Amino acid sequence: MFNLPETTFNYVGDEYIYAEITRDMKVESNFKALAVTAELRKRNIPGIIDIVSSNASYLIRYNPELISGKDLVDYIREIDFNKSDPTRLSLSIRAVEIPVWYDDPITREYSQRFKDRHQEPELSNFEYVMKLNGFTDKAAFIESHSSTPYLITMVGFLPGTAWHFPLGATPSEIIQSPKYKSPRTDTPERSVGIGGAFNVIYPVQGPGSYQLIGMSAVPVFDLSNRLTDLKDSLFLARPGDVWKYRPIDESEYLRIRDEVKSGAYRYRIKEVNLSPLEYIKKGKEYIHGLIGGLG
Amino acid sequence: MIEIKKPGLWTTVQDMGRLGKYHLGVPPSGAADKYSFMIGNMLVGNPVEFAALEMTLIGGVMQFKKNTVAALTGAPMKAYLNQQPIPFWEAFTVKEGDVLTIQECRKGVKSYLCVSGGIQVRDVFGSKSTYEASKIGGFQGRKLEKGDCLEINEPLPGAAKQAGKSLPLEYTPSFDSFQELRVTLGLTGYLVSDEGLKAFLNSEWKVSVESNRVAYRYTGGKVSFTEQRPPFGAGESFSNVVDFAYPIGSIMLPNEEELIVLHNDATTGGGFVTIGTVISQDLDLIAQSRPQSTCRFTAVTVDQAMEARKERREKIKKIETILGRQ
Repeated sequence: MFNLPETTFNYVGDEYIYAEITRDMKVESNFKALAVTAELRKRNIPGIIDIVSSNASYLIRYNPELISGKDLVDYIREIDFNKSDPTRLSLSIRAVEIPVWYDDPITREYSQRFKDRHQEPELSNFEYVMKLNGFTDKAAFIESHSSTPYLITMVGFLPGTAWHFPLGATPSEIIQSPKYKSPRTDTPERSVGIGGAFNVIYPVQGPGSYQLIGMSAVPVFDLSNRLTDLKDSLFLARPGDVWKYRPIDESEYLRIRDEVKSGAYRYRIKEVNLSPLEYIKKGKEYIHGLIGGLG
Repeated sequence: MIEIKKPGLWTTVQDMGRLGKYHLGVPPSGAADKYSFMIGNMLVGNPVEFAALEMTLIGGVMQFKKNTVAALTGAPMKAYLNQQPIPFWEAFTVKEGDVLTIQECRKGVKSYLCVSGGIQVRDVFGSKSTYEASKIGGFQGRKLEKGDCLEINEPLPGAAKQAGKSLPLEYTPSFDSFQELRVTLGLTGYLVSDEGLKAFLNSEWKVSVESNRVAYRYTGGKVSFTEQRPPFGAGESFSNVVDFAYPIGSIMLPNEEELIVLHNDATTGGGFVTIGTVISQDLDLIAQSRPQSTCRFTAVTVDQAMEARKERREKIKKIETILGRQ
């Protein structure tokens, strides 16, 4: 079993219910949030406006003219209790490969530009994260960061931004970093950032406070309607999906960028069923087997 | 069609918002002051959700290329149709070629121009509202600029009969420079100390200049944290919780001396302590609050929040009967 405490339900304002599974971040809490919100979404309850699965909680927005908050909490509590049994859970997800150019000139330039609000101004973000996590060899850091698959535990902040959390890593193996002391006013689109134990890829240019360690060659948000895989959704990220980074060099980065611009690029995606129980039991071995063949 | 001759300070197309996409990080957007917005639509005989223009502090100059019926609501700006002064909260007839000049408002911030049949722009995720951070919805996903030509729909049947109808004075908002905002406490407020909670409720808070459709920022009190160690995954600071989805109206505390209330273009999630949530109808008041104006937060129970909601619904129904196309 997950050994999670009973979920706490809060009535928030006149339109929201906030369900807190755990206060601290646990992959198990996220699996539960995914399971409960997937079940609730499937049931299509009139009066429910938004269902948001988050890192260790979930949020429901409802219309109290159509459904009473109290009835809704009773209803969700039952789903929360009965539909999150890990032995019966199977999450239908996608494993997606993200080609990344680590320690690239773009994020290095941003490190330089915003050094006045950084903990260690003389280091690039990449060097800073390496140093904090005890790496002296660049290749070893890239190997560690890219060999870990990441679970999308939440999507939000700005549209298409996905928090992703390492799977199958022991707490000491998890690469972590504090955020900027004061947020950058600018962040390049498609840059890969680390804040706390979470990674993000910035979908659009904008503010940000995560440490930038590389550039994704592929977008996570596409308004141009050119890319087949993003045509319906606009966004790449889906809560519950697993992302796997693949290190690339400059020439491959540029080649993929051309494919993206022409619309020819196809994401490497593998549809799989993730069993939280198997993951809890076998960890790294299970998750690597599951998404194997991606890269 | 409406041609923008002179853009106002910040004018966007808005409707009642984009629902059901919050889990992808897409905020609802939509009219910042829904009360004024809905009444504007009622005045011209539209369903309340039809798209209209939301103006900020100054409306600008625009020319109509179609006969229609229009209405101005929200923060009262000085307005002229050609040279003729035009009152707020009253439907008026517009002829092809007429020029509408909308100057600054002395009170409040947001005003609405509604036209019969609504503004015609493409739906994105089921809404015409502009969301500028991702450049989606509205007119090319952005605020209006000089030379923009906005399509407007044909006036609805019976629209002409709406001209001259006006909202009784007792229903117009007062746009005071001091507001009482009702909040339900809780959410992720467990890192706030008891004294901090008292200070939150007892202080007068002042609106900062950086406030906008994403969020309103306030200073004035000091809300102390407990100095408990934040939970694993939250980050280093006493103001951090594990990132979660923020409700619209939630009150974040990035540090002990600043409050941020998320509005309709909210960043949909993050990891700051949140002390409570402003009830939905008081978000309209926030939208009309100017920099340097002040407020107090009053704690209400969920039942009281629902009661307030019911009162407002009944009020809107009454207005609908007064202004409706019978």
